[in-house]
Amino acid sequence: MAIDAIGLFRGPEAALEAAGRLRAEGFAALELISPIPLEGVEHRLGTKQSVIKRFTFFGALFGGLLGFALAAGTAVLYPHPVGGRPIIPIPPYLVIAYEMTILGGILATVVGFLISARLPVIRERAYVSEASVDRFVVTVACAEAGEAQRATAILRAAGAEIVEAALGRAGPA
Amino acid sequence: MPDSHDEIRYADVNDDVIRSLVETGPKYYITLAVAVGVTLLCYAFPWFYQLYYGIGAAGMNHPAVWGTYLANFIFWIGLSHSGTLLSCVLHLTNSAWRKAMYRSAEAMTLFSLMVAGSMVAVHLGRPWFAHWVFPYPNQAGLWPNFRSPLLFDVMAVTTYLTGSSIFIYMGSIPDFAAARDRTTGWRHYMYRLFSLGWRGTDTEWHRLGRAYTFLAVLIIPLAVSVHSIVSWDFALSIVPAMHLTIFAPYFVVGAIYSGTAGIVTVMFLLRKYMRFEKYITKLHFDNLGKLLLVLSLLWTYINVLELFTGWYGGESTELEALKYKLFGYYAPLYWEMILFCAVAPLLCISRRFRTSFVPMLFLSIAINIGMYTERFLIIATSLSRKYLPDAWNLYVPSLVELSILVGTVGLFCTLFLIFVKIFPSVSIYEVKETLPAPEEGSTQWQSTR
Amino acid sequence: MSFLDDFRARWRAYRHPGHYERFDYAWTMTIDLDRCTGCEACVTACQAENNIPIVGEEALAKGREMQWIRIERYWEGEYPDVKLRFIPMLCQHCDAAPCETVCPVTATYHNQDGLNAQIYNRCIGTRSCSVYCPYEVRYFNYNVHHWDKPLDEQLNPDVTVREKGVMEKCTFCIQRIRQAKDHAKDDGRRRVRDGEMQPACVQSCPAEALVFGDRQDPQSRVAKMMADPRAYRVLEELNTSPSVVYLKKVGADAG
Repeated sequence: MAIDAIGLFRGPEAALEAAGRLRAEGFAALELISPIPLEGVEHRLGTKQSVIKRFTFFGALFGGLLGFALAAGTAVLYPHPVGGRPIIPIPPYLVIAYEMTILGGILATVVGFLISARLPVIRERAYVSEASVDRFVVTVACAEAGEAQRATAILRAAGAEIVEAALGRAGPA
Repeated sequence: MPDSHDEIRYADVNDDVIRSLVETGPKYYITLAVAVGVTLLCYAFPWFYQLYYGIGAAGMNHPAVWGTYLANFIFWIGLSHSGTLLSCVLHLTNSAWRKAMYRSAEAMTLFSLMVAGSMVAVHLGRPWFAHWVFPYPNQAGLWPNFRSPLLFDVMAVTTYLTGSSIFIYMGSIPDFAAARDRTTGWRHYMYRLFSLGWRGTDTEWHRLGRAYTFLAVLIIPLAVSVHSIVSWDFALSIVPAMHLTIFAPYFVVGAIYSGTAGIVTVMFLLRKYMRFEKYITKLHFDNLGKLLLVLSLLWTYINVLELFTGWYGGESTELEALKYKLFGYYAPLYWEMILFCAVAPLLCISRRFRTSFVPMLFLSIAINIGMYTERFLIIATSLSRKYLPDAWNLYVPSLVELSILVGTVGLFCTLFLIFVKIFPSVSIYEVKETLPAPEEGSTQWQSTR
Repeated sequence: MSFLDDFRARWRAYRHPGHYERFDYAWTMTIDLDRCTGCEACVTACQAENNIPIVGEEALAKGREMQWIRIERYWEGEYPDVKLRFIPMLCQHCDAAPCETVCPVTATYHNQDGLNAQIYNRCIGTRSCSVYCPYEVRYFNYNVHHWDKPLDEQLNPDVTVREKGVMEKCTFCIQRIRQAKDHAKDDGRRRVRDGEMQPACVQSCPAEALVFGDRQDPQSRVAKMMADPRAYRVLEELNTSPSVVYLKKVGADAG
């Protein structure tokens, strides 16, 4: 049965320190919930890598090829001589390919974002609604009660306003 | 209530913005009713009349076959440029003053694009077949003509519309989450859906930041290309005054210029009617004024280039076109455009002017009137006089066209009014980033740093 | 052929399709400005043949005339040395037509006879072809048209009546070309002979200023007229390659 240790902090620095200490003590399933993106998270919790850039790159590439193929392919399917131009003129079709490149990049970035941020949330996850206003929340997912007690002790020592250990997962209201 | 910007607390931002979403007074409903009324009366009914009687209801003739509908289209796409483009550029340069206003600016982009799209339907002779410009497999095996500048337009505007919608949505996800936590009833369910379960964990913030930056990097070249492509509807023709390579930069600069003026107007109205005085301050108007000045100088420069190169080359059709523009039938409009777009914005040199709200409002409206005139003149003066003098003719817009122009403003206002009650129109989390952090409430723990 | 060779051959074919070097017939018209009297018989004949609507006084006052061929009139000089010049202007059926590239739905294209064909059913009325045409020969249907009785009885059954919102222009009487080609085919698979088929304007010109035929046939009248030293094309510098050749007026009052 999973237990979440949750600590609310008033200021970002305290929350960051608490998170750093928890990590040092070996708690890996750690999340820092805040109303704004925090500076210094990577310093305490390790640098983050995201896979989004791969999505963007391949999406854009695929989009560009698709764009040129769309324009050239449909022209070939039903060739109409127009204005003395060839059936596949390069400059106009490059413009189409350019627009589709950007469209492909944008759509792929969205998909990459949703996948790597694990959104939308299906099964509820630990959350306190003050985190969207002015509190900084640290949640630790613990496997059993002993771990949860250790975690709550560290949080209290770090100056948390409220510390609770919730059974199961309390998701967003 | 704290008065100055520096005394705002995080909780106040949530309060103010969510209150603007939830509380609606009679003033809002009256404004909405007026906007819907203008849309129906001035846009929908004249358009139905035109659908029944043909494009003859407008003032177009032979050879002036394009008129205010296309001028409206270009004007609204131009207005759309500043929101998202400016937001992206300022995001990449990490400027702080963008934070309070970019959400509404991006909304302006989205709705301008929608209005511009509707203008295409009004402009077409047979709009019930408008779907033929989209590539879809059909029984006849027919595809659109991708060699056409109008098709570049279709692809570009569709991409821009998609990109802008995605951009504004992504940036609003954390704000939807904040609204979800404080609302009840149907609003709560709506925000729960929109926020996708966003909590604000460090991972989520990191991913959002990366995705948002990539989108900003992608949207900047997109926005530049969209208005260049719109200009190519004209520049790829062989009409004397339109077939100029300067058209692409001219239109892009004009679009950003007109869009920035539009942002000033919208910011003034938001500030006044949504009670966002703390968030949209003199600093914003000061910076927008500086931007308007720079863009006005750029725009004037490009106009001078057009005149100088046309005159110096001495080519007869080009000279005739320029003479007509400056001294012909439409000359009063031309000089009005110069006054509003090249001369009046020089007032922004004065800091006192830039930081006064009402004068800036009037200037922004004047600039947009001038920019609309510019788009109108490009169409009217070039098409009235092409190569064969026997075919020259004047174009005067009809009542139906003028009414539809007013109606587009009504449509835009309707969409925007609906927006301010659904999307948080000031970005909660970005404003908080400019505020001092809440105080540390530590009682027991000493920092070991 | 291997796949790569096949692909390369196709690519070359699509880049240089050669449509414009291999016309079935290359219909051309020559207009001798020395002979043209400006009588506008051609305009009337075209209106009768092609069901061109009578737009009415009000529409004409707004500048919405419908004349697939028009006589352009220019005055030169001051009284009493005034000179009048006119030139019939119709669709030039340009080989490098600016109007064809810009139509987003390909409602206008170049057919195998070298004609710029307009497909009324496909036209959605963007009117960009008219903007791109330097000769101003494309006309738009601004309103629904009707013919007062008994004029509706003289409509040509071989030609459609266009609805509002559609662009139209001179077709070199494509219905007559089609009929002549059919007739020639029935007549033993021969080609259309020179002079066998004429558009309505050519047929009705009393001064025989208009001559029509296939320029690929060296024996045709048009080919011989095109060789005249007076021959020129209007707005040649725009590189539109028009199929209508004008013969410059060199009479005593030509100036």
